[in-house]
Amino acid sequence: MRIRLVFCVIAPVIAALLLSLSGPALAHHGFVSWFDMGRLVTVKGTVTSFDWTNPHAYIYLDVKNEKGATEKWTAELGAIAMLTRAGWRKDILKPGDEITASGNPAKDGKPNMHLDKVVLANGQELASAL
Amino acid sequence: MVRGAVQKRLSFSSGAALTLLALSLTAHAQTGRSQSSTPDISGVWLVEKFEPRLFPNGGAPFTPWAEAKFKGSDLKTNDPNLACLPLGLPRFMISVPYPMEIFQVPTRVIMIQEGPQTMRQIHMNRQHPKDLDPAYSGDSIGKWEGDTLVVDTIGFNDKTWLDGGGLPHSEALHLVERIRRMDHDTLADDFTIEDPMAYTKPITARETYKLKPDWEIHEYVCEENNKYTYQGSDAGK
Repeated sequence: MRIRLVFCVIAPVIAALLLSLSGPALAHHGFVSWFDMGRLVTVKGTVTSFDWTNPHAYIYLDVKNEKGATEKWTAELGAIAMLTRAGWRKDILKPGDEITASGNPAKDGKPNMHLDKVVLANGQELASAL
Repeated sequence: MVRGAVQKRLSFSSGAALTLLALSLTAHAQTGRSQSSTPDISGVWLVEKFEPRLFPNGGAPFTPWAEAKFKGSDLKTNDPNLACLPLGLPRFMISVPYPMEIFQVPTRVIMIQEGPQTMRQIHMNRQHPKDLDPAYSGDSIGKWEGDTLVVDTIGFNDKTWLDGGGLPHSEALHLVERIRRMDHDTLADDFTIEDPMAYTKPITARETYKLKPDWEIHEYVCEENNKYTYQGSDAGK
């Protein structure tokens, strides 16, 4: 599994699309403080855990970087009721699933992201929710 | 003559029946109103445009006291929401991108929210008690002025932020809301914030909500897997 890190400079319009349901990039406790909302990162990896919890659901995945080492990534999602309304279910991801996750990377450079969307192995796309 | 008497009785009966019919049709035609004609603001509502900050571009009319406190507001360390604490008012009404449901009973308007603070209540049958114990959401009393629910809230503690951007307030906070159903699918809350200790003039704003007739309020247990750390109200100062 090869990791492909794609760093893009995102125009404000994409930030607006990202939160088209909700307006500017500042959620109930201001995730903009931890994540760089102007950048997008995409990783491909294997789910090790999917925590269907509030206040945030979390996807944990093992991602092989270009050196072949495993990086442990965390993707933070929104509240589970809003995720449910957006088509998610608690069992939609299982350990071992291979997915592509895109989101805003953590400002501190650690392998964390505020999830924008996932693409499942069958090609299904699921957008996160606040 | 018998026929004449019968005709008179029939006329009277018909007239009475028609009058009763007219009255019941008039009552029925007042849609959305109970027998006491209380406006209906019940239902599941979601903020129409989510912007948790009252002054996203700055410019709040701070007193020196509040400006100093605001400079110390840090979303990463001392936002009480990090500890899943109640949001208080008006933050409960403006800074939550999740739905709330409004219930009306004769003595109370109750709002339950799918968020870190589950409930606020508005007392419809009394005035503010004396010697209020300061509370996160204060004490709210309401009355109808036509189709507008006018809500007056005092008795706040100072442990909350006014909004999701870190605006401080004191225990002297006084909130007045005018809540009105603009049309079947739209609710508006026009609110005025007064806090002479924190702001040099009143702050006014409007929040609008859209009806979500097919939504139910789900559980939201904020403490279940909260990975954020509230470091106390003075953290980072």
